[in-house]
Amino acid sequence: MSLLRQRRPVVGTGSGRLLDQEPADAAGVRLREVSKTFSRRRRPGRTALDGVSLDVEPGEFLCLLGPSGCGKSTLLNILAGFVPADSGEVLVGGRPVTGPGPDRGVLFQTPMLFSWLTTWQNVLYGPKARGTLTPQVHEEAERLLETVGLADARDAYPHELSGGMRHRAAFARVLINRPGVLLMDEPFGALDAITRAAMQRFLLELWQQQRMTIVFVTHDVEEATLLGDRVCVLSGPPGGTKAVIDIDLRRPRSYDDTETLEFVNAKRRIREVLER
Amino acid sequence: MTATEVPQAVSAVTGVRPPRRRRSWRRVWMGVLALALTGVVWQIAAVLIGDSVTLPTVPETARTFVKYLSTPYPEVQGKTLVEDALISTGRILAGFVLGTVAGLLLGASMAGVRLVRELADPLIGVMRPLPPIAFIPLLVVWFGIGEVSKVALIFFGVLPVVTIATLGALDAVPAELLHASRSLGASPVYTMLHVRLRAAVPGVITGMRIAMGGAWTSIIAAEMIAATGGVGFLILQAGNYLQTPLIFSGIAEIAVLGFAFDGLLRLLLRLADPTVRR
Ligand SMILES: Nc1ncnc2c1ncn2[C@@H]1O[C@H](COP(=O)(O)OP(=O)(O)OP(=O)(O)O)[C@@H](O)[C@H]1O
Ligand SMILES: [Mg+2]
Repeated sequence: MSLLRQRRPVVGTGSGRLLDQEPADAAGVRLREVSKTFSRRRRPGRTALDGVSLDVEPGEFLCLLGPSGCGKSTLLNILAGFVPADSGEVLVGGRPVTGPGPDRGVLFQTPMLFSWLTTWQNVLYGPKARGTLTPQVHEEAERLLETVGLADARDAYPHELSGGMRHRAAFARVLINRPGVLLMDEPFGALDAITRAAMQRFLLELWQQQRMTIVFVTHDVEEATLLGDRVCVLSGPPGGTKAVIDIDLRRPRSYDDTETLEFVNAKRRIREVLER
Repeated sequence: MTATEVPQAVSAVTGVRPPRRRRSWRRVWMGVLALALTGVVWQIAAVLIGDSVTLPTVPETARTFVKYLSTPYPEVQGKTLVEDALISTGRILAGFVLGTVAGLLLGASMAGVRLVRELADPLIGVMRPLPPIAFIPLLVVWFGIGEVSKVALIFFGVLPVVTIATLGALDAVPAELLHASRSLGASPVYTMLHVRLRAAVPGVITGMRIAMGGAWTSIIAAEMIAATGGVGFLILQAGNYLQTPLIFSGIAEIAVLGFAFDGLLRLLLRLADPTVRR
């Protein structure tokens, strides 16, 4: 392959590709009085979360917003099962979270692809690690690469991809597991403005077809307003739920909506809560 | 809905691969050219000096090199250049393989077990700055001037370098990469083997390359001090009899062997790390 030609992502082009496969069963999230304190040597521990309660409906797009250090990443890590909560109830799809699992797809601020594997091998990593590689999985991986617009880059290594392409490869790697929940921690924070807008649009179109539950951490009010069904504003530090704001803008949303009056009003409502 | 238009930034980002073949050939030719220029400068200097003991000419050195590939030196109980090279290479390989395996095991257990790290850290810290050749007399007292002392010398030179490289490479694997693997459904053991250890491989190979350079220094020194064969021994003998062309032949042989071994390790690195394949 001498050239990485780039086909555009086919999500939302009306080809209905993602609809060929049964959509994943979206799972709800339930948090009750979740607390977390990080112990530190010879100093009093640092309380990151102080009694957070939150419900996320199956198929809902929830944005977590809050000042730096208020425990957004900690909350997401608890949901992902990377760190245990000290107390409180953490349920995903009705089951308590005890550790990481493929039912909850995680997307990090950087794509965290395996640099020694090609795009194709990265996408198949999960099924291979679990020993569930079948011809159907291969077919689905091909479909997914098409979906995220990386069909031509399947044999390229991560360092040969652009920033946006890497993020889309990370999406495909997670989606092959058909997670009920997507957990994202400022996933587009490190991208330039144009790529970021493209990824937001990509995510919206993906979600509008697949309807999995999404918990999306951001500290960008505009991003939260554009993407979320609801925005949960955390107070702190230490973090607690300050308010949950409904964003009742029409769906499907696109970048053009950011200039409408309703959008600006919704942004203002969030900002008022943030500054309260 | 504007779903059908995809922004330029995403659709137009194309990665055109550079013409790798041509660039690597260019590197080879530049290397050959640099060597040839060195040879020219050497030849001019040798002709100007006009004394073969101080600096032999290039053809004379080449003739000597070819002759002693099959002729033993010293004539009585001596060995050919090929035999000496095999002896030195054997010692290096034995010590290097043993030292690398031990360094990998030690570095990996230091990365995984807190107690091992706390115990081994100060020892490695003390051992690393010591030049291995300081131990030659001690090793000769313990093991005599046979093969064991040479292999032990290489071993103790390679061990701390590979240990530190392994530990550093394992520590440098970001926690999020391991988290990514776990949340994709991989078990802790699978994650350990396929992500943490795998991600550390390039760093370990780089450590092995550094250790290999040090190993040649140690083995030549050891062969000059206490040995009856090997390239170091040959160079010392040639020096004692003012056989300068043969000294240069021995040095050239070390250069070729060192280059070959480093090339093998570089090849290994290219296989292990796609980002250096250019
Ligand atoms: N591993 C850790 N050890 C000790 N303290 C930690 C650890 N992780 C987080 N903290 C502390 O917990 C608090 C919340 O951190 P967290 O990373 O969740 O914040 P955040 O809301 O994600 O901030 P940002 O918006 O800057 O990413 C911070 O005060 C931080 O110092
Ligand atoms: Mg954070």
